[in-house]
Amino acid sequence: MKIAYSHLVQHIEENPSIEHVSDTLFQLGHEHEIEDGIFDMEFTPNRGDCLSINGLLRDLAVFYTVNLNQEIHNKKLNELLIDFENLSNDICPQISFLKLEIDKAPEVYKGSLDNYFLDLNLNKNNFFTDISNYLSYETGQPTHCYDAKKINGKLVFQEIERDTEFETLLDKKITLMQKNAVFSLNNEVINLAGVVGGKRTACSSDTKTAIVECAFFQPEAIIGKSLKYDIHSEASHKFERGVDPECHDRVLRRFIKIVSEHANIKDMSIISYSYKDSPVNKIPVNVNKVNQILGINISEDDYLIYLSKLGFDINKDVIKVPSFRSDVKTQNDLSEEVARVIGYDNIPRAAVDIPKNEKSNNKDIENKLRFFLLDNGFYEVINSPFVSSSSDRSIKVDNPLDSNREYLRTNITNSLLDNLVFNERRQKDSIKLFEISDIYTSKNNEINKIRRLSIVASGRVGHNHIDFSKKIDKKYLTNLFKDALPSEDFAIEIFSREGLNSKIKNEIVGCEIDIENFSTEVLNYREETRPPNSFKKFFQISDLPFSSRDLSFSIKDFSSRQNLEKYILEYENELIKEKFIFDYFYNENSAEIKIGFRFIFQSVNLTITEAQINNVMNDIIGHTNKIKGVNIPGLN
Amino acid sequence: MPAHKDILPPELIKDRGSLHPINHMKDSIMNLLISFGFEIVNGPEIETEEFNFDMLNIKKSHPARQMHDTFYIENKSNLLRTHTSPVQIRGMLEKKPPLAFISGGKVYRKDDDATHLPMFHQVEGIYVDENVSFAQLKDLIYKIIYLLFGEDVELRFRPSYFPFTEPSAEVDILSKEGKWLEILGCGLVNPIVLDNCNINSSKYSGLAFGLGVERIAMLKHGVTDIREFYKSNLDFLSQFK
Repeated sequence: MKIAYSHLVQHIEENPSIEHVSDTLFQLGHEHEIEDGIFDMEFTPNRGDCLSINGLLRDLAVFYTVNLNQEIHNKKLNELLIDFENLSNDICPQISFLKLEIDKAPEVYKGSLDNYFLDLNLNKNNFFTDISNYLSYETGQPTHCYDAKKINGKLVFQEIERDTEFETLLDKKITLMQKNAVFSLNNEVINLAGVVGGKRTACSSDTKTAIVECAFFQPEAIIGKSLKYDIHSEASHKFERGVDPECHDRVLRRFIKIVSEHANIKDMSIISYSYKDSPVNKIPVNVNKVNQILGINISEDDYLIYLSKLGFDINKDVIKVPSFRSDVKTQNDLSEEVARVIGYDNIPRAAVDIPKNEKSNNKDIENKLRFFLLDNGFYEVINSPFVSSSSDRSIKVDNPLDSNREYLRTNITNSLLDNLVFNERRQKDSIKLFEISDIYTSKNNEINKIRRLSIVASGRVGHNHIDFSKKIDKKYLTNLFKDALPSEDFAIEIFSREGLNSKIKNEIVGCEIDIENFSTEVLNYREETRPPNSFKKFFQISDLPFSSRDLSFSIKDFSSRQNLEKYILEYENELIKEKFIFDYFYNENSAEIKIGFRFIFQSVNLTITEAQINNVMNDIIGHTNKIKGVNIPGLN
Repeated sequence: MPAHKDILPPELIKDRGSLHPINHMKDSIMNLLISFGFEIVNGPEIETEEFNFDMLNIKKSHPARQMHDTFYIENKSNLLRTHTSPVQIRGMLEKKPPLAFISGGKVYRKDDDATHLPMFHQVEGIYVDENVSFAQLKDLIYKIIYLLFGEDVELRFRPSYFPFTEPSAEVDILSKEGKWLEILGCGLVNPIVLDNCNINSSKYSGLAFGLGVERIAMLKHGVTDIREFYKSNLDFLSQFK
């Protein structure tokens, strides 16, 4: 909600700066941004009472001297005769109507009304609606104005449950569905209560007589309607969070006053219906409890001063909560009020001593499996559980994000196969993935949970001179796991590539196993890897294709080998993403070592040219040529 | 004859994988909390409205319960938990105070953009004992933040609102760029929640806190798009060895 600093500060005697008001609002828990003297406020959902100038000033009054200076019409008013029936007074326990007749709508506005439109850069509508909008801003109470000429029958408020066409005053036609609280006239819906009025009875610039409706609606009856019908409505935002049920008389008298400042009122009358008393929350004065909750030590006098400045009525040993603060019910709520006034950051810290717990981590087996896989080059992934396809045991999401995410997955492997294809398309030639996750299925309306490990691998075994030429296959994976965890049955499968939309032919192998099937023997596995202690800074990933170059050397002077390896493996260039020894062979007969290096070139922001790669390679070749006893076969 | 060491094959550099950075971060936070005395409790990701909302004082009218915020399943008979708090409810129903639980794992909300995902991870903690105060909550939060971000970090507590805590706060840290960044939510357990779990709220009080794992991981690793964590891109994952 946007609130102008100038509209607030005109009621504050100390005339604080915008920065001072901003700091105070933050201390009180009212987040905001400031632009051109306007606070763009974001209130927590329990503080609907702050959605107005007066609401914010009520909170600021604990720090400043606030003077509202808002005049109201304080003379006796005639009773309005209106044909109205409330058939759902549980939803609308309080409602008032004010009828006003003027001789002519003004052409220009004055005072606060004018400032409201000017300072917040708002479009005007018509005289009565403009005052209604302004009063919602000033008091927090939305009102709705009907053109009295168009109210030509019995007005009924009720919650209906039938499909009904309704045209809003914003010219939008909607179909009301399921339960909706509405006002009807001669059985036709003319107002979606608490959200938006209807076009048929709306005021216009010609309206001379208006009926102003001022109501309290239970938030439960309004919540979700604005979103359901895609109607951005400040009124619904306020009714959803709760408005002050006791403010009607003051708001309507303020309405009259503003009208009278702009036009001659020819006639006016009012009527209020109250079907149920508003609940009054009363909490015993107990400063000791508040001190204990917060861990502070304030006096009872200070405590009561804070609360009375916030509008709480203190009568001997009882604190009466004001009608606009329906969120305050307990000593903890009062403690929060005190904490806001003191400032959360000013509450001292007190050491907490939680008794040490000796219970072991029940994820030990799972963690051992993770480290075992890490040690063997597997990467842990996490996938979304939402999928498009279903099986007879799939759980259906009632309200999916889209049709591709309508069910919960019944296995992990399919997700890993998608991950594998994704990485193959990014030219990865060695892919080893695993995921541990809960899987949920349903049978006969019973939901079953299974915790599973899934493994999928394909391509080269690794990027070193031993593994580079080996392919991941069923035998490789079976042996790998059998050597390290002989007691476990990984039951490796070969997965079909059919339907994977991939041209790569490498075998895909893996398995999916219930975690509970692993024995405690897993705990004997001694991991080589530990998780990193620090959290590395991420560097941007390139989506551009990479190129690779191989360089093979013949070494006759073996003492030079280490120099060559050191030079190449420590060689730095921003275009080189990875480099490793992919081949090594010692030929005893010819007393010669053959060693091959692979260089992977990739840039984050540009497609690398042949010339750029050749420059780097020539630099490497130039340097390595100078190493004694090292030759590049085929190079002169 | 060449020296033996000169014809030995090069050092075998074994390819190692990596933990997923979110799981690594989650485990790091949980291990930190275990060192403070918290005990891990686990619970299902598919929950009932009773445990996910009612027991936590989230009223029927609360916007979070609407279909646009929560994933419901099997004709609204159950839902995907929107936070890990129901796990703590289950823990409190099983044990008597003093108790100190942490729970971590996947949670689901109906969001999908560059900063929000329909699935993300939380770690939550709760400590219930006699005379637990907001001042103690502050001390604990300071310790957690200092251990995660270093003792130089500046932090602030802001009043906030969660139905299950009262008073409630959000905690921000000051970034190097001078911007306040929200890190976690916390508060004193609402007495209504304790009573719902058959814990005498006139005798016991509790503190609770919750951290979004992705949020912390993004800050610690410098990742700007949350979706990177879930692409399963080896170029991304291999950075976190």
